Amino acid sequence: MATQNKLSTIETIKTASRGLRGSIVESLDDEITGAIREDDQAVIKFHGMYQQDDRDRREERAEKKLDRLYTFMIRLRLPGGFVTPLQWIATQHIAGEHATGIIKITSRQTLQLHGLIKSRIKPTIQAFNAAKLDSIATCGDINRNVLCSSHPNESPIHKEVFAYADKISELLMPKTKAYYEIWLDGEKIVDRKEEEDPLYQDRYMPRKFKIAIAIPPNNDVDVFANDIGLIAVIENNQLIGFNISIGGGLATTHGNPDTYARLGTVIGFTKGEENTLKAVYEILTIQRDYGNRSDRKLSRLKYTVDKLGVETYKTELEKRIGFKLEPAKTYTFKTRVDHFGWQADANGLNNYTILVENGRVTDEAGLPLKTALLEIAKTGVANFRFTCTQNLILSDIATENKAVVQEILERFGIIKHTEGSSNIRKNAMACVALPTCPLALAEAQRYLPSLITKIEGIVEKYELTEEGMVIRMTGCPNGCARPYLAEIGFVGTAPGKYNLHLGGDRQGERLNKVYKENLDELAILDTIDLLFKDYSSERMKEETFGDYSIRKNWVSA
Amino acid sequence: MLTKEKQLQVQALVKEATKEELAWINGYLMGLIGDSLTAVEENATPLATVAKKITIAYGTETGNSKKLATELASKAKKKMIIAKLVSLDQYRFADLQKETNFLTIISTQGEGEPPPAAKKFYDHIHQNGFKLDKLNFGVLALGDTSYPLFCKAGEDVDQQLEKLGGKRILPIQKCDVEYDEDADKWFDEVLDQLFSSKQTTVAPVIAIPVKYNAGTKPAGKTIYEGTVLSHINLNDRGSNKETWHLEIAAENLTYEAGDSIGILPKNDPETVNAILALVSLSASDHTAYKNEQISFLDLLTNKLNIANLSEKVIQRYATVVDATIAETKLDLLGLLQRYPTKGIEQFEAALQVLIAQSPRLYTVSSSPVSQESEVHITVARDIFYVEQEKKYGRCSDFLSKLQTNESISFFVQKNKRFKLPETDKDIIMIGPGTGIAAFRSFLLERDALGATGKNWLFFGEQHFESDFLYQTEIQNWHATGVLTKVQVAFSRDQQEKIYVQHKMLEHGAELFEWLDAGAYVYICGKKDPMSTDVENCLLEIIELHGNKTSEEAKTYFENIKAAHRYHKDVY
Ligand code: SRM
Ligand SMILES: Cc1cc2nc3c(=O)[nH]c(=O)nc-3n(C[C@H](O)[C@H](O)[C@H](O)COP(=O)(O)OP(=O)(O)OC[C@H]3O[C@@H](n4cnc5c(N)ncnc54)[C@H](O)[C@@H]3O)c2cc1C
Ligand SMILES: Cc1cc2nc3c(=O)[nH]c(=O)nc-3n(C[C@H](O)[C@H](O)[C@H](O)COP(=O)(O)O)c2cc1C
Ligand code: SF4
Repeated sequence: MATQNKLSTIETIKTASRGLRGSIVESLDDEITGAIREDDQAVIKFHGMYQQDDRDRREERAEKKLDRLYTFMIRLRLPGGFVTPLQWIATQHIAGEHATGIIKITSRQTLQLHGLIKSRIKPTIQAFNAAKLDSIATCGDINRNVLCSSHPNESPIHKEVFAYADKISELLMPKTKAYYEIWLDGEKIVDRKEEEDPLYQDRYMPRKFKIAIAIPPNNDVDVFANDIGLIAVIENNQLIGFNISIGGGLATTHGNPDTYARLGTVIGFTKGEENTLKAVYEILTIQRDYGNRSDRKLSRLKYTVDKLGVETYKTELEKRIGFKLEPAKTYTFKTRVDHFGWQADANGLNNYTILVENGRVTDEAGLPLKTALLEIAKTGVANFRFTCTQNLILSDIATENKAVVQEILERFGIIKHTEGSSNIRKNAMACVALPTCPLALAEAQRYLPSLITKIEGIVEKYELTEEGMVIRMTGCPNGCARPYLAEIGFVGTAPGKYNLHLGGDRQGERLNKVYKENLDELAILDTIDLLFKDYSSERMKEETFGDYSIRKNWVSA
Repeated sequence: MLTKEKQLQVQALVKEATKEELAWINGYLMGLIGDSLTAVEENATPLATVAKKITIAYGTETGNSKKLATELASKAKKKMIIAKLVSLDQYRFADLQKETNFLTIISTQGEGEPPPAAKKFYDHIHQNGFKLDKLNFGVLALGDTSYPLFCKAGEDVDQQLEKLGGKRILPIQKCDVEYDEDADKWFDEVLDQLFSSKQTTVAPVIAIPVKYNAGTKPAGKTIYEGTVLSHINLNDRGSNKETWHLEIAAENLTYEAGDSIGILPKNDPETVNAILALVSLSASDHTAYKNEQISFLDLLTNKLNIANLSEKVIQRYATVVDATIAETKLDLLGLLQRYPTKGIEQFEAALQVLIAQSPRLYTVSSSPVSQESEVHITVARDIFYVEQEKKYGRCSDFLSKLQTNESISFFVQKNKRFKLPETDKDIIMIGPGTGIAAFRSFLLERDALGATGKNWLFFGEQHFESDFLYQTEIQNWHATGVLTKVQVAFSRDQQEKIYVQHKMLEHGAELFEWLDAGAYVYICGKKDPMSTDVENCLLEIIELHGNKTSEEAKTYFENIKAAHRYHKDVY
């Protein structure tokens, strides 16, 4: 076990936190700063919040003798990325009243609000609670928001598979009542025995833990980027169980060779709900006990798996669950897409997928998306689902209501924008980065749209408009927009500078590799121009850009 | 004079002390002497049976008149003269008829007004209908030649007492800021006028009008030529306010924490040019003003108040251009546009009716101990509307537009009544808005002196994000323990308005503990409604947490004042 080494400070903070309470209450009472105490910044993550500050404003405010503009980002827990129209309306109101007004759809199917000042956190959480929404465990060293293929038409039994996201989320919730006590004025727990936590104990996971459920042949969730990936096995319309993949994770650190991106390894198959949930649970307990708690750069499950070896991990798992895993069933992923526009599902209900560039729901000149969505929500005829590429599905619309939605979408130019956008724009994604992300080295979501526009020029020049190459960008190597699984990945290294990654496949089963380092925009465009020129003239039929990059040895497979 | 051991103590104290500390101790001791004297004299009951009697009644705002009156009274006592010392706000008007020798020492405040404490008396003598024929009177007027209406209140009292039938002992003595000598001389003369054997009654004298060149160096006051070192708007984007932090360097500057500086604003160049254009004059054209030759540009820019015209001035202008003017809120440009002057002569005549520019005061927000040869001020750019038109206060607008390295002249306005107590005393500072200025100065000083007393600050503004003046400095003082406690109230960050007094009530119990343990209370900032609300709030706290009746609370509060533990710098 890694525990003989000195524990990282976060570990001591967790165990000392009295069930994730820390001194949050005292921190909130401190009137002269917008920040919370150092230790509480780690604790509050487990409640779904991050302390941030507007990095654009630091210098100017310092000169004015004003403290940094501290605000908080809150992330909702939405297993499978689903809210009712009423919940969407509530979220828009809360965003307007307490946050920046912008709603951010994340790469893990949930919603984030930015810019809450300290005094607004409590009212925000209480308002969410009134709408039956919470932010428990969406951040911190614990199981995060559980992903599931978002589109109802992925399978006639999508509903059944989808239900697992909720079950797993519930199963892996922390037992502490701190959230209710601190934010919802729930009564104080006197006897902490009541909230004893057999799974997390008082130390929680060594690091964040992520689970995704995919329904082949679409890998829209990037199932192999997760600590646990569940691949639904459906035989003649029956969900019989799941192939289980472990040890996926993308983050690397510039200049730290010990860190690497890793795709999940499929270790076997479990039949039925009980066994599957049991397996999932025990995979966590093993990581809890064997994960590295001294070096947080090496504490994700992927490193534990490689340290113990896949087989050892599997044996330990079978010991803990008390039954053997069946050999993995065959599965094939063909695509990794969102189904833009109208799509009916097996139950005859209709769904419209909207392109939301980088998941930012706001009103822009010529594209009043927020206003449109509010109007649609008010009709009450559509549910809201979020995809892992930060897009939005208006779902479960009865045919007689289709026209209403259609009319609003047209009136506000949403259809034009969604269906009029190029394929590369539809498949692109960028992380938040500046100004809020404290780890950002370069721009991402504020920059990618304009870069795409320039790349579109090149795409047209070489008549590649049919190709929907997957382009993803992040502001640092943490990989929040999963750039390592893109055909063209941009990873920020410094302001205006990006590493260019090539060679990912289209369905997310092959990691890409660094092709060139520290490119500025000009270099990026020149390079892409050369590559596309080459690709357009010499590619084989149906050959994707990612596969072509490998064949040409631009990067090794 | 001192006992051996006392001497040793003193030596021990000064041996270690730095220059600044010595200066501080010196000032502090002076303060003590002043106070103890006051105490003694006020309680001194005059012996019934001595022929020689005078009454010295003072009207003061910042304490000078009182201090002076006290000194003169004790001086008289030494000469075996019964001197009844009384503050005009405690004076029984009925006694006026019975007075024989009545000396008034009164300052001028505001724009030529009597100090609030003397307002009742001032009004009383202005309502005729009674005679004071037994009365011998003399008026000693304190004032400041940097104000256009120099010693106005004193003049009024002097003339009024005569109208009521009183006999002048001596012509009125007007004193500038260095008043001691003149006052002394005058007092001696008064005394032997009254009590030297051959008593002559003096012919009434018309007070000699003082020559005052507006803007030029006022007699008796050091005008510093400073340079702006830094100039920052402390409010963040999106604030409704502009609060400018100015750091000004000046040679051999002397001031103390709690003082203010006085600044004569220059008028807005655009307005001045507009005026010159309107009357088709060029900048270089000269005119005679207060018997000196001066260019219109200089006159309009530096000497005259052309922005905020009182109704009086507007009416005088009306007579010059003989028109009837109903408007009450007009500046000179507005007047000239609507009621033009005919010809240069009339324009010059119009200028004569304007009053000279008066200096504005700004509480220093620095401490000489930590910022020697520098003074900082905290200026709120004053915004107001005249018929929906947004306008800016002249001086604060002028200051908010200054640039670094520009030069600016100013004088120091001492405020003896707003000084820190001994370093081991606890203080409670209540300073919303620009009121924080005085307390930044206090905290810088207490920090520099390593004061051991506890410090508690109450600050308030509109928004936490954009209006928390000096936030990082306050955080550091709190972190390093210089600030024992700090409470902030941001009125507009939530539905219901929250102000400093709400925070005080919220912490009432502890606040009373501090008071009861002898803490000093300081209030700085806008006079109304803030300072009155805060005062009532203090009474409420004393009543509630000291469980007293409202009467007892008042007395308790009065005692705090009497013990010089309650200080205000409000405007
Ligand atoms: C919002 C989101 C990006 C987006 O534009 O959608 C995001 C945003 C942030 N991520 Fe992430 N991550 C997001 C998905 C991801 C993913 C993609 C995924 O999970 O499919 C990854 C890569 C997969 C993985 O985990 O390996 C990812 C790997 C990280 C890491 C690196 C973790 C590691 O193993 O080292 C960090 C840094 C850390 O945890 O120390 C991080 C940290 C952050 C923080 C919280 C920065 C911080 O720690 O203070 C970012 C907040 C920025 C902001 O202002 O909102 N984020 N983050 C995604 C929210 C997901 C969610 O709803 O929970
Ligand atoms: C002891 C003391 C300490 C002080 N300390 C500070 C301090 O630390 N910080 C600070 O910011 N201030 C302080 N002040 C207040 C400061 O001296 C000035 O009063 C303030 O800056 C406003 O002056 P001004 O020249 O900008 O506005 P002025 O031009 O004098 O105007 C003041 C007001 O007059 C009215 N007015 C002016 N022109 C017109 C017009 N044309 N029509 C109609 N109404 C008009 C408006 O109501 C306006 O608000 C202090 C005052 C005193 C007495
Ligand atoms: C706000 C303010 C306004 C003043 N206005 C005048 C004035 O109009 N005319 C004048 O001669 N002196 C004026 N003075 C100067 C005072 O009269 C002078 O400081 C005097 O010494 C104060 O005496 P006191 O402490 O007894 O009030 C003013 C002082 C202040 C603080
Ligand atoms: S990838 Fe880096 S920059 Fe982008 S959101 Fe994640 S942590 Fe921030």
